[in-house]
Amino acid sequence: MSDASVGVQRTVAPEVALPSPGRWIRDNLFSSITNSVQTVVFTVILLGLLRWALGLVFAEDTDWTAVATNMRLLFTYNYPTAQYGRIWVATGTVLAAVGASCGAWNINPGMTVRRLSVSGTGTGAFLLVIGVITPASTPSSIRTWIVIIGTALVLISLTALRIVDKPHRRSVSFASLLVTFGVAVVAFLWLFPFGNYGFTQGAVYAEPGLVAESTRVPWTVLMAIVVSAFFLGRETVRRLGEAGGLIRRSLTVFWVVGPLFLVFLVLRDPAFDMGYVLRVDIPIAAGFVLAGAVLISLLGQPARAELARIVGAVLAAGAVFNWMAGFMGWYPMLQKVRISFALLALLVLLLPTLAGERAARLRLMGLWAVAMVIFHWLITGMNTPSTLEIAAPPFLGGFVLTVTIAYYVMLASFPVGVLLALARTSKLPIFRVLATGYIEVIRGVPLITVLFFFSIMLPLFLPRGMGISDLAAVFAGYAVFSAAYMAENIRGGLQSVRHGQFEAADALGLTTVQRTGLIVLPQALRVSIPNLVGQAIATFKETSLIAIVGGFDLLRIANATIPNQPDFLGQKRPGLLFISLIYFVFAYSMSRASQNLETRLGSARA
Amino acid sequence: MSIADRALTSEMASRPDMIQCRGVKKWFGDFQALCGVDLTVKEREVMVVLGPSGSGKSTLIRCINRLEVHQEGQIVVDGVELTNDLRNIEKIRSEVGMVFQLFNLFPHLSVLDNVTLAPIWVRKQPKAQAEIRAMELLERVGIPEQAAKFPGQLSGGQQQRVAIARSLAMNPKIMLFDEPTSALDPEMISEVLDVMKALAADGMTMIVVTHEMGFAREVADRLVFMEAGDVVEVGTPETFFTNPTEERTKLFLSQIL
Ligand SMILES: Nc1ncnc2c1ncn2[C@@H]1O[C@H](COP(=O)(O)OP(=O)(O)OP(=O)(O)O)[C@@H](O)[C@H]1O
Ligand SMILES: [Mg+2]
Repeated sequence: MSDASVGVQRTVAPEVALPSPGRWIRDNLFSSITNSVQTVVFTVILLGLLRWALGLVFAEDTDWTAVATNMRLLFTYNYPTAQYGRIWVATGTVLAAVGASCGAWNINPGMTVRRLSVSGTGTGAFLLVIGVITPASTPSSIRTWIVIIGTALVLISLTALRIVDKPHRRSVSFASLLVTFGVAVVAFLWLFPFGNYGFTQGAVYAEPGLVAESTRVPWTVLMAIVVSAFFLGRETVRRLGEAGGLIRRSLTVFWVVGPLFLVFLVLRDPAFDMGYVLRVDIPIAAGFVLAGAVLISLLGQPARAELARIVGAVLAAGAVFNWMAGFMGWYPMLQKVRISFALLALLVLLLPTLAGERAARLRLMGLWAVAMVIFHWLITGMNTPSTLEIAAPPFLGGFVLTVTIAYYVMLASFPVGVLLALARTSKLPIFRVLATGYIEVIRGVPLITVLFFFSIMLPLFLPRGMGISDLAAVFAGYAVFSAAYMAENIRGGLQSVRHGQFEAADALGLTTVQRTGLIVLPQALRVSIPNLVGQAIATFKETSLIAIVGGFDLLRIANATIPNQPDFLGQKRPGLLFISLIYFVFAYSMSRASQNLETRLGSARA
Repeated sequence: MSIADRALTSEMASRPDMIQCRGVKKWFGDFQALCGVDLTVKEREVMVVLGPSGSGKSTLIRCINRLEVHQEGQIVVDGVELTNDLRNIEKIRSEVGMVFQLFNLFPHLSVLDNVTLAPIWVRKQPKAQAEIRAMELLERVGIPEQAAKFPGQLSGGQQQRVAIARSLAMNPKIMLFDEPTSALDPEMISEVLDVMKALAADGMTMIVVTHEMGFAREVADRLVFMEAGDVVEVGTPETFFTNPTEERTKLFLSQIL
C-alpha cells in the first residue's frame, strides 16, 4: 500500500470484512445446540406474536378508512377548512426552521454505507416475513405492496454494499438521507394509490386513486422547503464563517419565540383598533423601550455595578408591589405593564453581569427593544378580539394540541426547573427550603390531580376580572408539574460539576451569576441531557391526560370521537394503532436525537 | 524588623508589600488549620512554601484570594484588606491569579475560550482584543497550536500551562501556585516549571507551594517552612537548605532530601 522506503509507516486499521449472511447466522444463531434450540423457540414465539399483531391490524372488522377519513380530525381537530392555509404556513415555517437548523449546526449522524445497508436489508427482510405470514384477511394489494417494497429494499441495500468501495468507511451524508426522504415522500404522494377519503356534508366519501390534491400539493411544497432550507442553512453558515454564529443564534431565538407566533397565527386574527393601539399600546411599549435604554446607558457601565444592584432591587420591590396591588385590587394597572415592569427590574438586576463597553451596551439596548416589541405585540394581539371564527370550545385539538402543549410545557418548565434546581442547591436556607418544598409537594401529587386542580380550582383563586382559558390553565398546571421533575433532573447534573470548577471560576473573579451561567450550568445541563430527553418523551406522551380535563387530544379523538361517528361506530382499534405509531415515531426520534447530541458533545470534550 | 520580614535583603525590604498576613487564624470546625500566621510578601518576590502534608499550606494561599475565609487576623493584598465586602473580594480575585494542582480548566470550553473568558466577562474587554492577548499568552507558555482544542484533548503538562495562561490573561499582580506539578507525570514537570521560572524572571510576585526542591533552590527569593498551621522558619535558599535554624526544619529536610 504505502511506500516501504518512507521512514514512518502509518497503517490503516485492518478491514473487518462483513461476514456473509450464512456465516453470520451460523456464528450467532446456531453456534451450539442450546443456542440453536433458543433460536428456534424464540423465532417461533416471535412469529406467533407478529402474526397476532398483524391479525389485529388487518382483521376484517378493523376499518382503516376510519383513520384515513379522519386524518384531518386527528391532526387538527375541528380546524375550519377555509382557514387551512394558516396551518400550512405554520407547518412550513416549522419545517423550514428544522431544515435550516440541521444545516446550520451541520447535523451529521454519520451513518456508514455498511450500517445503512445492513439496516436496509434487515427492514426489507422483515417486510418480506410480514408479507408471507400476514393472515388471509389482508387485502391482496397490500400484501403485494409489502412484498414489492421489501424485495426492493433488500436488493438495493445488497447492491449498494457490493458496488460501493469500502462501505464501512464511506459514510452517507445527512444531506443525501434528507433528499432521499423528501423524494420518497413526494413519490408516495404522487404515485401510491392511497385513495382519497373525507367527509362532504357529513357523508363519508372514498375515491380510489391518489391522495387528495389538498394534501398532496402542500406536502410536496413542504418537502421542498425542508430540503432547500437545509442546504440554505448549511451554505450560509459555511460561507459566512465567523458570522455564521449569528444565523445559529437567530434560529435559537426562533425556537424559543417562533412557535408562540405560529400558535397565534393559527388561532387568532386580531382586529386591532388602530386608534387605541396608537393612543395606548404603542406609547406604553415605547415607554418601556426608552426606560430600558436609559437605564442601560446610565447603569450599564462596569463602574456603576453597585448602583445598578441597588436600583434593580428597588425596581424588583416595585414589581412585587404591583402584583400585590393587583391581587388586592388597590389600583388598576394593565397586566402587560406589570409584566414589563418586572422584566425591567430583571434587566437592571442583570446589568452588573451584562455591563460592558459602549458596543455591548448598544447591543443590549437593541435586544431589550426587540424583546419589548415582540412581547407587547403578542400581549396586545392576545387581548384583542379575533376575527378568526373557530368552532370554540375547544379551538385547538388533535396532534397540533399534543405537540403545542408538549413543546411549551418543556419550554416553560425549563427555566423554572433550572431556577428551582439552583435554589435547592444554594447556600441560602430560605431558597433551599422553598425549592425543596415545591419540588417534594409537586412530586408527591399525581399529574392528573394537578391538572384537575388547575382547570377547576385555579380560576376560583384568580383576582376578579382575570379569566383564564381551559387550555391555558391545563398548560400552566402541566408546566408547574413538569418543572419539579425538571429541577430534579438538573440537580443531578449540578451535583456532578466538580468543586474545582467553582473554585477556578471564583479565583478568576467571576460573579456568582457569571459562574453559574458560564461554568456550572453548561456542564450540568450536558450531564442531564439523557434525563431531560427522557422527561421530554414522557411529557409528550402524557399530554394524553389532557383528554381527561376536557382537551381533544389524539387519544380522545381515537378513543372516543371516531368510534362515535355513525359511519365508524365502535371503530377504536385502527385509531389507537395509528396514534400509537405517531407517539412511537416521535418518541423514538427524540431518543435518537439525544443520542446524537450526546456523541457530538462528548466528542467535543474527549 | 518584624518576624514577617525575616531573611529579607535590604534591597527587598525597601520594596512595597504586596501581601501582608498578620496573625491569620483559621478553623475548620474545631480543627485549627492556621494558628496565627505572620508573613509579608514583597513586590516581585518569589516565595516558596514547604511543609508536610496537612500543615496548612493550601489553606494559607487559599485564604489570600478568599477561597477560604480566615476567622482572625488580617490579610492585606496590594493595600486592600480582605473583609466580607463583596467589592473588595472581586477586585482582589481579579488581581490575584491562582493555579491549582488539578488544573481546573473548564472542560466545556476550548483552550482559547478558557483563556478569554475572564477578560471578557470580568474585565469587559472586547472579544477580539481578548483573543489577541490570549494567543500571545499561549505563545508564551508554548502551546499556541492547541488554541482550538478542548482541555480533555491535552496532556497534563499542556493543561497546566493553559491554566497558567488563563490566570495571566487577567494581568494579575500576584500569582498563587498550589502544587502545580504534583499531578503531572515526571516528563511533564519541567515544561511547567520552565514557564514558572520565566514568569519569575519577568518579575511576577509569586507564592508557590511545591515539593520541587530544585525549583525552590533556583528560583525562590525566600523559603517558608510550615508545620501544623504555623510558620516555623523563613529563610533564603542558601541558609534554608544548608543551615536551617529550627530542629523541625532539619528533620523535614532530612526526610525529603
Ligand atoms: N474544607 C476542609 N474541611 C475540613 N478540614 C480541612 C478542609 N480543608 C483542609 N482541612 C484540614 O486542614 C489542614 C490543612 O490542610 P491543607 O490542605 O492546607 O494542607 P496542605 O499543607 O496543603 O497539605 P498537602 O500537602 O497534603 O496539600 C489539614 O489537616 C486538612 O485536613
Ligand atoms: Mg495542599
